[in-house]
Formats: sequence, structure tokens, C-alpha cells
Amino acid sequence: MHLVPLFLYACATGAYLAHFARRNPATGRLATGLLGGAILAHTFLIGMQTVEAGHAPLVGTTAALSAFVWLFGLSYMYVELTTDERAMGVLVSALLTVLYVIPALNPGVSPRPEVLRSPLFTFHVTAMLFAYASLALACVIGVTYVLLFKEIKAKHLGFFYARLPSLQVLDSMNGRVITIGWLFLTAGIAIGIVWATQVRPSADPRLQAMHIQDPKILVALVSWCVYSFALFARRAIGLTGRRAAWLSVFAFVIVLLNFVPVGYFLTESHNF
Amino acid sequence: MMRLFAVGLSHRTAPVELRECVDFSRLGVAEALAALAARGVSREMVVLSTCNRAEIYAVAGPDGPDAIGRFFADYHGIPLARISEHLYVRRGADAARHLYRVAAGLDSLVVGEPQILGQVKAAYATASDNGFTAAVTNRLFHTAFGVGKRVRTETGLSEGAVSVSYAAISLARKIFGDLGGLNVVVLGAGGMAKLTAVHLRSQGVRHVTIASRTFSAAESLARQLTGRAVPWEELDPALAGADIVVTATGANEPVLTRARVYEVMRPRQERPLFIIDIAVPRDVAPDVGDLEQVFLYNIDDLQGIVKENLARRSGELQRAEAIVDEEVARFTGWLQSRDVIPTVVALRERFEAVRRAELARLEPKLAALPPEARERVDEITHLLVQKLLLTPTEQLKAAGDESTVATYADALNRLFRLAEEDAPQVKPRPAKVTPLRRG
Repeated sequence: MHLVPLFLYACATGAYLAHFARRNPATGRLATGLLGGAILAHTFLIGMQTVEAGHAPLVGTTAALSAFVWLFGLSYMYVELTTDERAMGVLVSALLTVLYVIPALNPGVSPRPEVLRSPLFTFHVTAMLFAYASLALACVIGVTYVLLFKEIKAKHLGFFYARLPSLQVLDSMNGRVITIGWLFLTAGIAIGIVWATQVRPSADPRLQAMHIQDPKILVALVSWCVYSFALFARRAIGLTGRRAAWLSVFAFVIVLLNFVPVGYFLTESHNF
Repeated sequence: MMRLFAVGLSHRTAPVELRECVDFSRLGVAEALAALAARGVSREMVVLSTCNRAEIYAVAGPDGPDAIGRFFADYHGIPLARISEHLYVRRGADAARHLYRVAAGLDSLVVGEPQILGQVKAAYATASDNGFTAAVTNRLFHTAFGVGKRVRTETGLSEGAVSVSYAAISLARKIFGDLGGLNVVVLGAGGMAKLTAVHLRSQGVRHVTIASRTFSAAESLARQLTGRAVPWEELDPALAGADIVVTATGANEPVLTRARVYEVMRPRQERPLFIIDIAVPRDVAPDVGDLEQVFLYNIDDLQGIVKENLARRSGELQRAEAIVDEEVARFTGWLQSRDVIPTVVALRERFEAVRRAELARLEPKLAALPPEARERVDEITHLLVQKLLLTPTEQLKAAGDESTVATYADALNRLFRLAEEDAPQVKPRPAKVTPLRRG
């Protein structure tokens, strides 16, 4: 059952790849359809888990990863359907497929501990995941910017030149998406802090570890600083273009590191 | 029998002097259509007239092509002998193939150029607005628009700029997106500088600033372009505000060195600068292109892009021709299924007439039957006729080529005497003809 969305995500990646290479409009529609199907199957799955567990499946890194893939897929779908621009579909669907492997192989829903029964917790996780989805999109846009930039600089116009929107458009999209991501990141962290102080008196050792020294929290704050710098630099000193694109890629690598390896192996506070 | 054909001349068959003489758009295409209609050659016709071709697509009898050839000469007041050797005639499927290739840009001087599809659409619209199109031309042109669109979206035939100035514009678009708010600085006031500036102006750039070593030359060009002239010494501040710089001076040494552009770029932060160096010898030192956010293209780079694009286009030819083949086959199938309609209708009418005549003959015997039984008899005979006609009708519709259709039609006409009026004098019920699907 959990392999159905994985299979569809993988098929969508294949179709986006074929569309990117051959640019057959029918393949493009097929790719969109497959991705839509994957998201739909995924929605159904999350819905079932919610009914089964009686709460949204947001507890634990695996469930959060699944929700992140779902939100990211939805946000990309929105961008694609509103701009009719499929070039970034390859990178997005590949990222979705790779990230969805983990939840697909560990399908169980973790029971929700008593302390997580606060709406603040749900807000915190949702805001963080929205932020991560936007920042993932910024990363993908950054990568495409760099690829196109390199082609134009090298004076060898070919593959990406014919397929991507202009540098200017990619750059401003990058800025906009990072702004949205930063807003959610800020909100998510703020809500997290409020919630952590509320539940601090609890005896749960994980809540005792809700501290800036915990790797998960520390790295999240580092990534918040990096994105704040990126936004500040864009507005104040005009850091745009190739360097800004690289920065958005680099910053998302931090986010991803925090999400997967830190989330699974290092954190002592966020392992519900 | 009325047939589709095309008569015309193009850059492939006629020199430009002659093409100018037969340009229908000079006096108006609608007027040409009216003049041709006045000759009574045809009721379905479309005039396609561009600077590279003048063609008339029409549905007419066997003498149609000659009549239209004469019209070409008479209408433009030139002797027929002068143009007859340049005129080509395409009939039936070949006419469709020709129009499809034209619409797809396969027959254009610059293969894959996109304007022609718009011109074909305009030609059809004019004919249609004046009531000169009907079933065949409607379908022919609508499918041609489809072919043009398919070739453009499914192949790379129209991709990539194939002239130096378009290559430069396309690069600028890829860097800046919209050219609307951009500032252009032109170095030099010669012919090449002017040409490029005019081209950029037509793309909607906001400000054009001209700098030349002779200020008066810069001023005069600035006046022509409604731009601004700056003295050579004040070039750097102008460069600092520029998005696109075009250099076309006659200098022997690079005007823009790396150090100079570096200084210009510093206050600009990360704002990109696109430098187009069309001067020979070059005006811009090659290492300027290594600076962050500076995109430097010289005339050789642009020509290299054009060459690559042309090579890529010719690589797409085969795929485009395959699309044309496919659509021609589809159109021909439709055209032929139209040709068999009269035969199918006549055949059905004949069978129906026989049935009715037999029923009328047997009327005295049938009169004794109860009404339900009479209805059954009517139904059974009707079904029998339908069954008998099913296979021949299908075979007719499936007939592959024009000559087979003609042979079948001829055989049926003879075997069933379809053309003769010796059928029993019973008024046949109008035969039901199932709508034909294209093959």
C-alpha cells in the first residue's frame, strides 16, 4: 500500500525526465498526471493514517518526512499549474521519490504521546514542513539557475537554454520562495519555543532535552540564520544571481541534513 | 469532378523581381479573391501572398489550374509566358502536402521561421470572411494550422535564433526576461551600431544611450533613435547604469578592458551586464567575460550560435516531414471518403427503391396480413437491405487510393446502373447515410 505512491512518484520522475529530454507535450501531461496521481494516492494514505490513529500522522521523523513530501509535491503542483512551467519537475519529482523511500519502507504510524496533544505542536510541525517545502523549491530553482547561468557563460547554448525560463525570472522566483519559506520557518520556530516552554515541567526526558544544545534545534536555528542572511543580503546588498542561487542550495543542504541524519540519529529531543 | 489543387510560385521557383510583380497583397487579397471569383473558376479558394510566395488554393474542375495560371498573369498585367515556367501546380494530396509544409515552415527560405503560420492563418481568414471557403478548404486550412503547431511543439525545427541579431536578442531575453525596462548603451555610431540599436529599440528597451569618439556622430544617431548621446569621457557612468552594452567602434585596441569593466561592475553589485561586441577587431578584452555576472558575446560567438541552431534545425527536418506525412495521409483519407459518398448514397437509394417496389408489387397479398405482421415484413426487408450493403459500403470507405475509389465507383455504377434513371418508379425514402469517419 505504501509502495503505491512511491511507485507513482518514481514513474512521474521518469516521465518528467522523458519530457525534459524530448519535450513532447503529451509526455509532459503524462508526467503531471502521474505526479498528481502520486500525490492523490499519498493524500489517501495520510487520510487513512489519520483515521486509523485518530490524529494527523506528524509524530516522528518518518511521518514528518512523508508529510513533507506531500506538502512539497502539492506546492510544486501549484507552481506548475499556475506557471505552466514543467522544467523543474525532473528535480522536484526525483527529490520526492528519494525522500519518500524512507516513509514507504517504514509505514507504521507512531502513537502520539500525551505531551504532543497540543494544537501548538501541530502548528509547529506544519509550519516547519511548509517552510522546508518552500526552501526545497528554492533549492531546485537555485540549481536550475546555476545550470542555465553556466550554459550562457560558456557560450554553448543547448539543453537548459531551450528549456528554462530566463535567469531574471528564476532569480526573482528564488527570492520570493525563500521569503515565504523564511516566514514559515520563523513562525514554526517561534511556536516551537512557546510550546517547549509550556511543556517543560513534564518529566519526559525528550522535553528536558528541548534545549539549544540539542543538534536538531541548533541546526534549525543555524539554517534560520542562513536564510535570514540570504534575505537580508538580497535586499540590502543586492546579493542576487549566481551567488544567491548557490546560497539557497547550500542552505537547503543544511535543512536536509537536519531533517534526515540529525532527525534520525543525533537529536535527543525530537525523536517521538 | 471538382478537385483540390494549388497553383503558385515561391522563392524556390521564381526570382524576387517576379515575386514582386505577382504580390497579391499589394492591391489587397480580398480584391484578388473577388476578381478571381468573378471569373467563375471556383467557389472555394484561398490566396496566400507573402514576400516569398504567391499561391492560390482552390477546389475546381479539371481546367481550374490553367484558369488560375492565366489569372496570375492577367491580374498583375504580365504576359503568361513570363510566369508560366515559374508556376507550379499541386493536386489533391500533393496540394495538401504543399500547404502543410508551407505552414510548418519547411518550405520557407529560413527553415522553421515562425511568421509563415500567421500569414497562412491570415490568408485563410480573409478568404473565409469573404465567403470563399467551404468544406474542403476549411478542413485543409484548419489541419494545416494543426500541422504548423505540431511541428513547432513536437520538433525543434523553429528553435534557436538563425540570425546574429536574433541570437543577441534571444540571449538578452534569457538573461533579463522582459526587455521592457532595460538600458542599452551603444559604443560607436556607425552602420552596425545603428542597426543593432534599431533592432533593440524595436524590442522595446527603455533607454538607448550612444557614446562615440566623435560626439556629433553620437548626437545625430541619438536623434534618430530618440536616445541620448554622452561624450566619450563620460562613458563609465553610463556603463554603470547599463544592462546591455553594444560595442561597434572602429578602434584597433580594446575599448573595454577587464580593469575598466571591473570598476564599472563594483557599484552594480550582482546586476547582470550583457556585452555584445560586434566590432572587428574586438572592442572588448576577452577576459572581461570572466567577471561575475558579465556575459560577453562577440560576433564570432553569435555566429557560432547561429550555425549550431541551423545544424540543429536541419536535424529536426525528418521528424517534421514525418508529421506532415501523417497528416497528409489523414487528410487524403477524409478527401477520399468524401469522394465515395455519392456512390454510397446512390447504391443505398437503388437498393431501397428495389425494396419499396417489391413491397408495392406484393401489396395485394400483404393486405390480408394483420398490421403487426406487415410491420414485421417491412422491418425484415429493411434489415436485409442493410445487411447486404454493409460490406460493400465498408470496402468502399476503406479503399486506399484515389484510383481504387474511382474503379469501385465505376464498377458499381455499371453493375447497378446507378447513373441511369430506369429504376422502378417508386419514390425512394431518403437514404440514411451514416456519417463517415476519417480514416
